Parts: sequence; C-alpha cells; structure tokens
Amino acid sequence: MSNLPISRKCLMWLGALALGLLVVFGLEPSVALAAAEHAADSTAHTFTSKVAGDGGAGKGAAFAFWSFALCAVGGSLFVITRRNMVTAVMGMVGTFFAIAGLYLMLYASFLAVMQVLVYAGAIMVLFVFVIMILNRPVDEPWAVQGILGKAIAALGVLYLFKRLAGILWQVKDTHALVLAKDKLDVEVVLNHSDPELLKDLGVLSIRGLKHADVCKSLFAVCRDNTLNHTVADTVKNAYEFGSVEGVGYTLFSKYLFPFEAVSIVLLVAVVGAIAIARPDKNEPEGEAAKEAS
Amino acid sequence: MITIVPNDFLYLGPLAVLTIVGLLLILAEAFAIGKRRRFLMQLTVAGSVMAIFAAIYTWRSIEPGTQISAFSGMLIADRMSMFLCALFAGSTGLIAMLGAAHQREYDWQVGEFYGLMLLAAAGMCMIAMAGDLITIFIGIETMSLAVYVMTAARRRSRRGSEGAMKYFLMGAFASGFLVYGMALLYGATGSTNLQTIRSVLATSQSSSLTVAAIFMLIVAFGFKIAAIPFHMWAPDAYEGAPTPVTAFMAAAVKSAAIAGMIRIFVQALGGAIVPFGQVGWSSIFAIIAAITMTVGNIAALRQDNIKRMLAYSSVAHAGVLLVGLVAAGIAPEGEGLASVLFYLLAYSVATVGAFGVVVWIGNRDRERVLLSDWYGLAAAKPAAAMVMTLFMLSFAGIPPTGGFFAKFFLFKSALMAQDQALLWLVIVGVLNSMISIFYYLKVVMAMYFRDATGEFKPLNSGAVTFVLVLCGILVLQMGMMPTSWLGYLGV
Amino acid sequence: MSIFYDLTLSHFLVLAATLFAIGITGVLLRRNAIIVMMSIELMLNAANITVLAFSRGFAGQDNNAAYQGQAFALIVIAIAAAEAAVGLAIVVTVFRTRRHSDIDRLTMLKD
Repeated sequence: MSNLPISRKCLMWLGALALGLLVVFGLEPSVALAAAEHAADSTAHTFTSKVAGDGGAGKGAAFAFWSFALCAVGGSLFVITRRNMVTAVMGMVGTFFAIAGLYLMLYASFLAVMQVLVYAGAIMVLFVFVIMILNRPVDEPWAVQGILGKAIAALGVLYLFKRLAGILWQVKDTHALVLAKDKLDVEVVLNHSDPELLKDLGVLSIRGLKHADVCKSLFAVCRDNTLNHTVADTVKNAYEFGSVEGVGYTLFSKYLFPFEAVSIVLLVAVVGAIAIARPDKNEPEGEAAKEAS
Repeated sequence: MITIVPNDFLYLGPLAVLTIVGLLLILAEAFAIGKRRRFLMQLTVAGSVMAIFAAIYTWRSIEPGTQISAFSGMLIADRMSMFLCALFAGSTGLIAMLGAAHQREYDWQVGEFYGLMLLAAAGMCMIAMAGDLITIFIGIETMSLAVYVMTAARRRSRRGSEGAMKYFLMGAFASGFLVYGMALLYGATGSTNLQTIRSVLATSQSSSLTVAAIFMLIVAFGFKIAAIPFHMWAPDAYEGAPTPVTAFMAAAVKSAAIAGMIRIFVQALGGAIVPFGQVGWSSIFAIIAAITMTVGNIAALRQDNIKRMLAYSSVAHAGVLLVGLVAAGIAPEGEGLASVLFYLLAYSVATVGAFGVVVWIGNRDRERVLLSDWYGLAAAKPAAAMVMTLFMLSFAGIPPTGGFFAKFFLFKSALMAQDQALLWLVIVGVLNSMISIFYYLKVVMAMYFRDATGEFKPLNSGAVTFVLVLCGILVLQMGMMPTSWLGYLGV
Repeated sequence: MSIFYDLTLSHFLVLAATLFAIGITGVLLRRNAIIVMMSIELMLNAANITVLAFSRGFAGQDNNAAYQGQAFALIVIAIAAAEAAVGLAIVVTVFRTRRHSDIDRLTMLKD
C-alpha cells in the first residue's frame, strides 16, 4: 500500500469516494434527497415511532444517519491508520463534517455550525499549518517493538467498547419510557393541519410524503401539548431547539460564569502558545549539545 | 429571568484577584525588559498575598457548614473552597519566588511565566469552588494548559519540551475521559449541576450509565493526580520541567485535582448515595490507593535523581490522599474531609520547601539533581541540610513535623469510617509509610554521612532563603500545634 | 432490519462510543504526536455527540436540562480549540529541539 505511487493512491481514494457516494445517493435518490433536506424532521419522527408502535418509518433519516455514521467512523479509522499526516487530517475533516451532520439530526443546529467553523475550519487548518511547518508529512510506520503491549491495549479498548456499547444500547429503554410519558394527542395535531401553518414550518416540502405522514412527523415535534402551549408554539419551540437563540439564552443566563471563564482558558492558550513556540532570538546553540553529552 | 445577583460577586474574591493580577502581569510582561523582570515576580507575590487576604476575608464571612451557591449554581462558596483558594494562592506566591531565582540563574527569563502561573491558580480556585461539572472542566483546563506551557517554558532544554509533550498528551487524554464521563453523568441525571446530580441520584436507583460515567471520571482523575496505573507521565514531566514548575505541579496542581475529586466524588456522589455497591466508587479508589502507595514507594526507592524520587514520592502521597478521600466519601459526617485538607496543607508546604532546596542547591554549572550531588551538604551548609531533613521527615510522617499529624489524622479518620471497613487500607498505608522512610532517610544520610564532591555554590537569593525558612517554620508549627489548623479546617 | 430504520438515541450513543474507542486506540497505538492529538480531538467529539444526543433526548420534557447539554457542548468545543493550540505549540517546540515529533523516540527522561 505504501509503495504505490502517489497518483495511483489518489485514484484509489477517488474511486472509493465515488463508490461511497454511489452507495449513499445512488441506490434510492428520492429517499436520499428527502433525507438531505429534512433529516431533522424525520429523525424527530422516528425517535417516537418506537413508542407509537409503527416501525419502518423514517427511512430517509435512517439513511442520513447511517451515511453520516459511515463517514465519521471511516474518517476516524483513516486518522489512526494513515501514515501520511495530511491524509489523516483530511480524514479528520471528513469526520468533523459527518459529526456536524449528526448534530443537525439531533436538532443542534447552532452546534453543527460551530462544529464546522471551529473544528473543520480553524483547528484542522492549525493542524495542517503545523504539519507544513514541520515539513515532514510522512510519519514513520507503526511501531513494531512492543507489539504485545499494543495487542493488550487494543484488546482492552475493545473490551471497554463492548461494555460501553452494551450499556449505551440499553439507554433506549429508559428513554423510551420517558418518551412514553408525552402522550401525543392526535386530534390536536389533526385539527391544526392548516396548510398555511404547515407551509410555514416547511413540512409540506418533504418530497414523497403523504399528508398523513406530514401529520405523523408533526406529532413527533409537538410532544408536550399538555402545557399551555398552542400546537404552533410547541412546533416552533421544537424547531428552535438548538438554535442560536435557545443556546444563547442559556449561555448568558445560567452558563454566564463558565462562558466568561472560557475566555481565561483561551487567553492562557494564546499567550502560552506564543510564549513557547515563537523563535528564540538570543539562542545560543550550546545547551542542546551540552544536554546530549 | 435574571439569575445573577450582585451578591454573587462577593464570593469571587480570591478568584477575581488572581485573574486580574494575572491579566496585569501578561500586559506588564510586554513592557518589562532586562533587569526590571524582578518587578514581575514582586507583582505575582503581591497578587498571591492579596488573594490570600481575600480568601480569609470571605472565609470569615461564611458560616461554618454552609454552602452558598453563586452564579446559578456554577460556583459554591464554602469554608473549604476558601481554604483551598488560600492554599493555592500561597503556593503560587512561594513558587513565584523560587521561579524568579531559577530563571535568573539558568537564564530562561520567560515573562509570561508569572501571568500564566496566576491564571493557573485562578483555574485551581475555580475547581475548588466548582458547583457544576462544566466549572470543574474549565478550571482543570485553565490550570493544565498553563502548566503544560510552564513545563516547556525553558525552551532551550530538550528535557523540558520532552516532559511537556508527555505531560500534555497524557493530560489531554485524561481530559477526553473527563468530558466523556461528564457527558455520561449528564445523560444519567439530566443535569450538569453537582447538587442536582446528587438529588437525582438520591431519588433513583443507580443505572449502569452512572457506573460507566464514574469509571470514566476515575480514569480521568487518576491521570490528573498521577495515581497508579495512570502515573507514567509523572516522573518524566517532573524531571523534565524546570524545578519551580515541578514544585508547582507537585504541590498546587495535585491539590487542585484532589479538590475536584472532593467536589465530584465526595460531595456529589458520596455519602448515602454512593452509586453501585455498598461502598461504590470508594472500593475502586481503595484498591487504587493501596496499589499507588505501594508501587510509588517501591519505585521511589530505586531513584537516584532527587526530582524523580520526589515525583514517585508524590505519587505515593496521592495514594495516601485517596485513602482520605475514600474515608470522606463513605462517612461524610466524619473528619475525613478535614484530614484530607490538612494533609494537602502539610504536603504542599513540605513539597514547596523540598523543591526550594533543590532550586537553592544548584547553579548554572552544576544543577545538582542527583543524590550523589548532595553528599556532604550538612558539613558545608548545615542550615540547608537541617531544613531539607525537616521536609523529608514531614514527608515520611515522623513526629515533630506537620506530616506526622497529617498522616495520623488521615488514617484515624479512615479507621473510624464504617466499622473499620478500611482497616486493611490503613495497615497498607502505615506499612508504606515505613517503606517511605528508607528513601527519605537516604537523602538525609547522603547529606550527613558522605563526603562532599566539589564545593557547594548555592543560589544567592534572598527570596529562596525566605521560602525555605517560611516552609520550615510552617512544617514545625504544624507539627507542634496541629489542633489550631484543624479548627480552621472544620468544614 | 428495524435496527437500521428505527433510529433511537442509542444509535447516536453507540456511534459516539465507537468514535471514543477509535480515539483511545489512536492514542495508545500511534507514535506520532500530531496523530495522537487528532485522536484526542476525536474523543472530545465523541463526548460531544453523547452530550447532544442526551440533550435531544431531554428536549421537550426538560428543556432546561436539554439546553444545559447544548451549552456544555459549546464550551467543550471552545476548550478543545485552546488545547489544540497549546498542543501544537508544544509539538513545534519539541520539533525545534530534536527534529522529530515521535513519542517513542522521546527517551531522554527514563528510569
């Protein structure tokens, strides 16, 4: 693998990418498009679909999730297996975009934007900068010595993962119980199937979904109609969950102190990074030699 | 909904002083050139002293046993946090004095050093006052990032950068575990607020999610306090860092990590609601404590580099502190917490003092960090050998010093907890104290019973002498009158 | 096939656990400091996915809890950026003094 010329390698990766895209979008274009446009709506739907007892819904969301998951896991495997550091960074960027997509599916739209801006935009650029400054993009191959220790480490991680995944897989049940508390009142939503309202919410633009499906996906977002909210309010709140307004309100009320305190961390990072990484002007070369002896 | 009330700012005293003086120092560094660097050190010490006074003032204004939550639960002001703030500020001030002399002698004048140090101390105060997972995380990161930088601050030293690299990678790895553990805890309880977490866990039976979260947090804090098996970075980072920074890592950073553990494990997850099992997380910590003490002490026996030896000794002390934490966790109404705080005080003072002697003894031509470099110190410089002996005795827990009472109170509180459930741990701890006497006495023997190799040319710095004298007096005072301190620590 | 189509919180949580495990593996098995740092970023991201998935789970029944998760995740992102800056500065320092950033070859400090 490592002996291939760079052009062949690029071709291979391009081919893999094309294949991946084909898998994601080629098989069922309408589903994929719907997924891309309204991933969040359908996700909301499927979260409760278990409770409502109608499995099989939300294929679009499932598709989006699995393709994002594939990208994220594939990209991260890329990071830890590639010898070439620039390739690893590119894998990381792919992972970050996929994770931003997952955030969107979780209604965390503001966080998704932050993820792209800060991680993919700033941190990864920093990494590329440093790799370029070091001017040695190719790393040494995997360490051969201590293979036993590494095998033990890998097994340990695998065991940890197995236990963790087992625990997290159970979470579904407890949360399903919690979700079951929010009884959906079908009538309320059906009475509000006012086309204008739905259009405002952008629900009608879901491709290939019947009116009943639209209503179904609405149920998901107006869980809590026992409160004194109108349906429109509830739906609006659900859509605004994770928006700049929602997060900002928390950030400047309850989280005010941490928000201000983060500025100290950032200051320490900036001052510290400059303090140790700037070139040393009056540097005699002697000390390094002295220590080496 | 306004959640911030003006009163909240009253409890911010020490934290605000440290932050503001730290910011001033970072600004002042730009204007300080050449000889005027001494001014930076003086400002640092002034800031620390002001922070101590602010902490004492706030301490007096808080009723014993009350916890005042400020900034909608993000911070908790109580007597314990104020004591810890004063401790952090005090060690910062003393270590700044050591740092100035060390920088002058070894010519690594990095002006940002002082500002970062004070900001790190501010981070530690944040941990001590934390009432929320996010505050603990921010505090730990403020402190850690500053200390990584300080470790690498002696830029011409290859050892410094190597130590910083190992420290950083392990520290960041631990942060990953920390955040993941916090995420799981948030998922299990629906809040990041420690008091809410406590009340939620008290009313529901513990889920496996909580168990996973606690496991992650144990790993994270294990790295931070360098408990075995998470200690591998500690000797390298301690040896590679400039000696004053090593003192800072051993005294202040470790105490701050313990403060974070007190907040999370003892106060949020302790007492009647310890999740999983009869003694819960404390059984894991008890085992880690036993291993940490034993392996730390045995590894310290083999070292001939003083800084490395003190590193392993600090690993062993982390084990002893864990014993106290376990006692405080399973019996919160006992004296476990007060004894841990007293131990932190005694340990920090002795650590600053011991590293102060290490700074004092070396010079530009010969740093004198090997044990053989200390041969015959008593004949040449009897006062310094005396003081160093005092610190070693305190570490080993031998009577007329503070270390003895610290260990005594701590083991006593562990014995009293839960029908002597921790008896085995106390026995392991006492046995380990005996092992530790060997290597501490090795230093004393080297100073008193060997012939000197070459003439001693210690640093000629009034500030370092002051630090040594002050720490020596404090160690003796804690050994003679421990009860007065315990009175202040009655949290 | 319902495991594929019926998305639940657990899907997101297990995905996060996968990324976390991959991150730990990277830290333990790779020798290059920059790759190790990227693996650590991966761990932080996994934690963030977990927080946001739980936040999504709390949304609608306990919006207060849900928003705490969002704010938490935002602060984690900010701190991860700060950590990356310091870490890369240290990598540059190491590289300047010894022309490589290979952890296993940092052997000056040893027992």
